Amino acid sequence: MRKRKIKNYIGLSISTISAFIGLFFLLWIIVSLIEKGFHYVNWSVFTQNAVSPGDEGGGLKFAILGQLEVVSIASLLGIPTGILGGIYLSEYGKDSFLSNVIRNVSDAMTSIPSIIIGIFVYALVVVPMGGFSVLAGSIALALLMMPIVISSIDNILRLVPNELREAAYALGAPKYIVIFKVVAKEAIVGIVSVILLAISRILGETAPLLFTSFNSNFESYKLNKPIATLTVTMYDYAMGPYDSWHHLAWAAAIILTFSVLLFNIASRLFSYWRFRR
Amino acid sequence: MKYICKIDGKQKIDVRNFNFYYGNKLALKDLNFCIKENTILALIGPSGSGKTTLARCFNRMHDLYTNNRYEGEIFIDNTNILDPKIDLIELRDRVGMVFQKPTAFPMTIFENIAFGLKLKGIKNKTELKDKVEKALKDAALWDEVKDRLDKLATNLSGGQQQRLCIARAIAVDPEVLVFDESTASLDPISTSKIEDLMVELSKKLTIIAVTHNLQQAARVSEYTLFLLDGEAIEYDKTNIMFTNPKDKKTQDYIMGRFG
Amino acid sequence: MKKKFIMIDFFLKHISMFFAYFVLLVIFGLFLVLYINSKDAINHFGFFSFITSNVWSPAFDKFGGLIALIGTFLTTVISAIIAIPIALGIAIFLVEICPNFLKTPIGIAIELLAAIPSVIYGFWGLFYLGPLIEKYVQPFFNATLVKLPIVGQYFYGYSSSVSLFTASVVLAIMIIPFTAALTRDALKITPDLLKESAYALGATKWETISKVMFRYSKGAIIGAVLISLGRAIGETMAVTFVIGNQDSLPTSLMSATTTVTATIANEFTEASSHLYLSSMYLLAFILFLLSFLLIIGSKMFFLRKVRD
Repeated sequence: MRKRKIKNYIGLSISTISAFIGLFFLLWIIVSLIEKGFHYVNWSVFTQNAVSPGDEGGGLKFAILGQLEVVSIASLLGIPTGILGGIYLSEYGKDSFLSNVIRNVSDAMTSIPSIIIGIFVYALVVVPMGGFSVLAGSIALALLMMPIVISSIDNILRLVPNELREAAYALGAPKYIVIFKVVAKEAIVGIVSVILLAISRILGETAPLLFTSFNSNFESYKLNKPIATLTVTMYDYAMGPYDSWHHLAWAAAIILTFSVLLFNIASRLFSYWRFRR
Repeated sequence: MKYICKIDGKQKIDVRNFNFYYGNKLALKDLNFCIKENTILALIGPSGSGKTTLARCFNRMHDLYTNNRYEGEIFIDNTNILDPKIDLIELRDRVGMVFQKPTAFPMTIFENIAFGLKLKGIKNKTELKDKVEKALKDAALWDEVKDRLDKLATNLSGGQQQRLCIARAIAVDPEVLVFDESTASLDPISTSKIEDLMVELSKKLTIIAVTHNLQQAARVSEYTLFLLDGEAIEYDKTNIMFTNPKDKKTQDYIMGRFG
Repeated sequence: MKKKFIMIDFFLKHISMFFAYFVLLVIFGLFLVLYINSKDAINHFGFFSFITSNVWSPAFDKFGGLIALIGTFLTTVISAIIAIPIALGIAIFLVEICPNFLKTPIGIAIELLAAIPSVIYGFWGLFYLGPLIEKYVQPFFNATLVKLPIVGQYFYGYSSSVSLFTASVVLAIMIIPFTAALTRDALKITPDLLKESAYALGATKWETISKVMFRYSKGAIIGAVLISLGRAIGETMAVTFVIGNQDSLPTSLMSATTTVTATIANEFTEASSHLYLSSMYLLAFILFLLSFLLIIGSKMFFLRKVRD
């Protein structure tokens, strides 16, 4: 008996200790990020553009706006298509064999290394277009978003009770009205939560942008031209030799982390609200 | 089943040689009867007897799912509603349904009632307002909600929501209204309010009420059809069936010996 | 009125069906694009020779995937060795040891940490962890582990903040929150009734955890581990910052080397010859196959859990 008690004590202690080790490291990252990052975030980071390499000062304005542009277009591409796909699975395909195949494949796609998606879009969009572009970057991010949105929307819509649908049909409603005016409305809070989560997921992506939207020193927002994004810029600056670049990279790091967490938390709040109703 | 149509009034619905299949399983067997206009017909029987299955044939709810098959005819005023060429949306305009659980849509009270009206193409705001008011009054809900038509319907109590569903169904002026165990999830007071409503509505509509509550069937219905395993065992005026059932199985069921 | 309904219904059905099937199209397309573009490298070098060749020389237009693949393999294995026990520890702590009022906040904290982009972890690794490893860990290793016979040489390192080791640690830290959240979910599926029966029979807490919960959620835990491994091998940004980006085989834990993802990230846009580019595609193709295998593997384990 004593042996078992000792084993118990040891086992639980090891778990607790490893938990604390893990949590400690994670806390350390957050703290150092905040400490160093805030130090370098100031107004000029947002309002100034990059300067010649090696010069002091400069900001991330172009990179931030570029990030916003790429993410927005990606969302416009990926979210509606994902929602429609999810609607198909939940309202039309239901439990058919093919629909379950799509569900599994879609789920699998969420785990594909994002750099591979970048290469895929490079081959299919950048090469034919003859150069890097905002569009290519957005398409890459949209392809990352779609599977997440499809799976989540499918799950959310399936939770809507069937009686609600039947009541609408019984009043003479056609399918599209049942779906959009009744089912989607019932699930709207969950749908918003999914959208926010999908955006938070692609906001911090770097790898897929490396060979699609690439990078740019010229301020241009044209769809068919490359663009600077916060994530790629952060990578470039961090790996570069200049201290001023490193400082900006810290600022970028904290801006990115903050934005991603903002969307993630907002998504959770909506999700929580959904269950309170 | 031999055809039964001993009613003392005009006929509204005629069920002829009717069979229904869930996939390969024969769920309703050889039904042959008629339903009187502007009355309440109670469908009774133990769980699985087919009463809900039958009720959902009148507005062809089964068409929403695959592998179901109708055989025979169901006439509403000389139109066979089982004809594949029938416009289902028009049918569901004529035949309304109230379900077992309240199914208020996630919209305002006004929008709930106006739902069916807008589908029919009624856009005029005054016309909508008038019809919504009339429906709520006919459903005995107007006084309780007239000051909060623009509030979410899902905030109403269960009994109120169910009356909302009734108002929603009658707003489009159906000729037939099917109640599928609509008071099963409600408290006695709400139940009694809805039963009063059913009786009042039956002056202008033909009502088919599925119920497992025999006292309810006795209270509200003029005719009763007793189903067992998909077959019609007995069909008669309610007061006759309940006091003097002709079939032993009916008697056993009514006495509570099974189901 | 009816005609409008029919038209819109038809349109909706087909457009939503298109986007649902689109996912299948993308997966097939991915496979095709990667394969077709790697064909030149495959034909030139031979698939299996490519995998076993440690030559990566743009100058001579000769490429082999061994270096990158070994890098990916080692970083994944080492990070798994570090991360999985810790993640399991966190999961056990959260499910069984943690006081109730802390469960939700810590749980949410873990999930938020899992949401932090990998580029941030890599970045932190470059500026914080790397220098620390150079300053403290390397001297420590040099003074102790290096003295071990045979294996000692694999711990030697001198003033390098970027190395296989740094990258593995960063990778480990990155996958810990993700793995912890997944294994916590896996452990949670054990029904309370089962746990109570164990306690009622006089089992200690640890025995209940190790003998009952682990056995019950074994499939789900393995599935979670496989998904985490899949994530680790495909990670680019957490690794590229700190692996050193040297196209040579590592001679010790502290060598600078590369992984499949780091090689692609650094050299794809600079591939100067057709064969160079095709070799990159081939690396990507191999990575794609590997992660797909891990995903299918994890699904098989998860599926078994559901069926039971």
